[in-house]
Amino acid sequence: MAATRFEVRFGGTGGQGLLLSGKMLADALASEGKNVAQSQTYEPTSRGGFCNADLVIANGEVDYPLPIAFDCLVLLDQLAIKPSWSRTKPNALVIADTRNCPDLPAGDYPCHHLPLSRTAIELGSERVTNIVALGALLELSGICKRASIERVLRASSPRSFLDLNLDALAAGYALAAPVAAAAS
Amino acid sequence: MNVVDKARVKPAAKLLSGNNACALGAVAAGCRFFAGYPITPSSEIAERLVTLLPQAGGVFIQMEDEISAMAAVVGASMGGAKAMTATSGPGFSLKQENIGYAAGAEIPCVIVNVMRGGPSTGMPTRPSQADVMQTRFGSHGDYPMIVLAPASVREIYSETIRAFDLAETCRTPVILLYDQVIAQSSETVALEPPTTPRAERKWATGPREEFKPFAVGPDGIPAMAKPGAGYRVHTTGLTHSETGFPSQDPETVNRNLGRLFSKLERHREQIDSWEAVQCDDADVVIVAIGISSRAARRAVEICRASGVRAGLFRPITLWPFPEAPLCAATKNARAVLVPELSIGQLRLEVERLLGRDKVEGLHQFSGEPITPAQIAARATALASEA
Amino acid sequence: MFTDAPNFDVRDYLRLEMMPHFLCPGCGHGIALRALLWALHDLAIDKDKLAIVSGIGCAGRLSAYIDANTFHTTHGRPLAFATGLALARPDLHVVVISGDGDCLAIGGNHLIHACRRNLKLTCLMLNNEIYGMTGGQVSPTTAETRLTTTTPLGNNEPSFDACALASAAGAGFVGREVTRHVPKLKELMKAGLEHPGFAFIEVLTDCTEVYGRKNELGSSPEMIMRQKSDMRPSAYRNTVDTPFHPTSLPTGILMQNDRPEYGAAYRRAAALAAAKGAKK
Repeated sequence: MAATRFEVRFGGTGGQGLLLSGKMLADALASEGKNVAQSQTYEPTSRGGFCNADLVIANGEVDYPLPIAFDCLVLLDQLAIKPSWSRTKPNALVIADTRNCPDLPAGDYPCHHLPLSRTAIELGSERVTNIVALGALLELSGICKRASIERVLRASSPRSFLDLNLDALAAGYALAAPVAAAAS
Repeated sequence: MNVVDKARVKPAAKLLSGNNACALGAVAAGCRFFAGYPITPSSEIAERLVTLLPQAGGVFIQMEDEISAMAAVVGASMGGAKAMTATSGPGFSLKQENIGYAAGAEIPCVIVNVMRGGPSTGMPTRPSQADVMQTRFGSHGDYPMIVLAPASVREIYSETIRAFDLAETCRTPVILLYDQVIAQSSETVALEPPTTPRAERKWATGPREEFKPFAVGPDGIPAMAKPGAGYRVHTTGLTHSETGFPSQDPETVNRNLGRLFSKLERHREQIDSWEAVQCDDADVVIVAIGISSRAARRAVEICRASGVRAGLFRPITLWPFPEAPLCAATKNARAVLVPELSIGQLRLEVERLLGRDKVEGLHQFSGEPITPAQIAARATALASEA
Repeated sequence: MFTDAPNFDVRDYLRLEMMPHFLCPGCGHGIALRALLWALHDLAIDKDKLAIVSGIGCAGRLSAYIDANTFHTTHGRPLAFATGLALARPDLHVVVISGDGDCLAIGGNHLIHACRRNLKLTCLMLNNEIYGMTGGQVSPTTAETRLTTTTPLGNNEPSFDACALASAAGAGFVGREVTRHVPKLKELMKAGLEHPGFAFIEVLTDCTEVYGRKNELGSSPEMIMRQKSDMRPSAYRNTVDTPFHPTSLPTGILMQNDRPEYGAAYRRAAALAAAKGAKK
């Protein structure tokens, strides 16, 4: 049978740092010996329009590098729902920002509506919403060790952003911890 | 996601896009000159090399158009530099004039063509595989061409290096052909710099008086006179004799043009490259390149899991086409399926080799890649029909 | 033989095995070639370090006659080939030989950007106002009303002033001369060859066989005698700073400045970048 695949989409709008979250997660997963392929859709409207970073994670080689059906959907903007929903598995893990993504499709699926952007604003910058989301995703999915992502974050953050990024990651983990505990 | 096979990927693996891997491969191959013109979806190659080349003692220049970028690459190579350009469909069309010059005057160089939807301006950010025939026959007149078609980030790196080696060894332009998805998607890879020595150009040596710039030995490759080395030879796009000067003498023209083709045939062992996956017992063999071959690889797994014996044949060197390996890989197959992002270009070549009865196409030119499920469904249907 | 060039023998710079050349009787291109070889001789430029890059057309064929590293490239592109060659090999002296069709029509874009870039190259544009090799079609410098095979009723397009174009595009050196004045032409070429940046030189030559015959301009000597008078009434009208006078076409060095040369500037910046990269 084909190698195990786990597909994640970070969906939102241009400028939210989705590709960066994807790259950090991919590098962290690679350090744990996994293979990752990341793709994005190039639209003329990428500034201010729908933007995505799609990760295909596999233990062995990633055969087909494009997503087929998402196991996990991280939504940072309402815009991302429409182009993503039909390609999301029925029991996929959905993490959505309460403020930018208030209206989620009806249905019985494991959804975590979390104040990702509000937490980032409270930390000092909405720009780290992507890192808060990354923390929440890792707490809820367990696809990567916290030490691995922290190592990547330390290596790739500009010095002036490092503390903020680490705080944002921790806040993301903390935000999702009660939910994760309740679920287990 | 519980089993971690640590042996498969080195700890230093990092997410890297295909275009970035191409730039890194070029520098590792010894490329020291790049001339280009901005075009989606190939610009990342130029944007990476603008930094890498000066650090390696090389030159980067953005030219005024696609034509001059190709001309500057040939000019730099005539001066002795390993040189490259990168473009996409509309630019590739414009470059044909000087690609033909490089083929005729036997100037080594590497041209990257990242395929996007066409015709004309088409779909700049969507993949296509409809330049398969243009890479082979894009410029006027008869000339041979080496075209390499990598299908992953890692392979773009290694095939870029091989492209430079083949260009220098065979004294010919080499085209690196891949699609927008392979170019702009990223994969986690730990790139290993090549351990073998790189191919270097055969430079003219010996007394100047006796030197004939297009006289050859048994390998069919003329030694090139390096400007400044005292040979003072003439290079032209006109048909020429062994002296390098224009000639329309039928016998001379025949001999020289015939040699252009035979020099590649003599190096087929180095040029040919392909991958055959589970073809031996396959009822249906899928022939594909680039992103379609990645979908086909998964489709083979899907088919096999449901009891359909499918296999994949993937030309890595697209031109000259690996004829004998394809015939061998499809010997036992009852049907051959060619999924491609075009109306049927790769299929034409496969049909030429295997006949029309056996070959089916799965063609899509909407700008959407063909999915593993599409290929698996078609292969399954073919297996039951056959 | 010119008496004022006792040490110069044109045969030292020619590939004699290529003789006889293919130029028509009376063609001015041979005079331009002789002036170039004389200038190279005067400057003692090493033939081994000399690269001649030419395009397509009558002027493009001249490269094959010069005993140097010669490159006969594609139509309109010699400046682009030369740009790559000169950047890859700054030790070479690179001279481009082009024609009015090659340089201004099909290669016009490369000319303006070569001027703008100011890479050290010497570009000779041999202007005979016609596509001679293809049989005499109208070119961007054909004067108005002239007859060509593609303007049987007389040319009704205005023509380029190539020097004004090169100046406007930023060339560091712009000059013009006629084949009538060989020593002056040689001196202009020397100045161009010595200029540290991009040098554009327009050489007005005559196509007797095709253009002259069609327009009844007389024999080659007659055409040469008229070079500074009534030959090009429309070509330079209102396009140069100097008001047009039929009897005083501006020649010589028309413009020279010391704008930074592209190649040296690139190599300086690259060395800095490399040093920075090494520190990291």
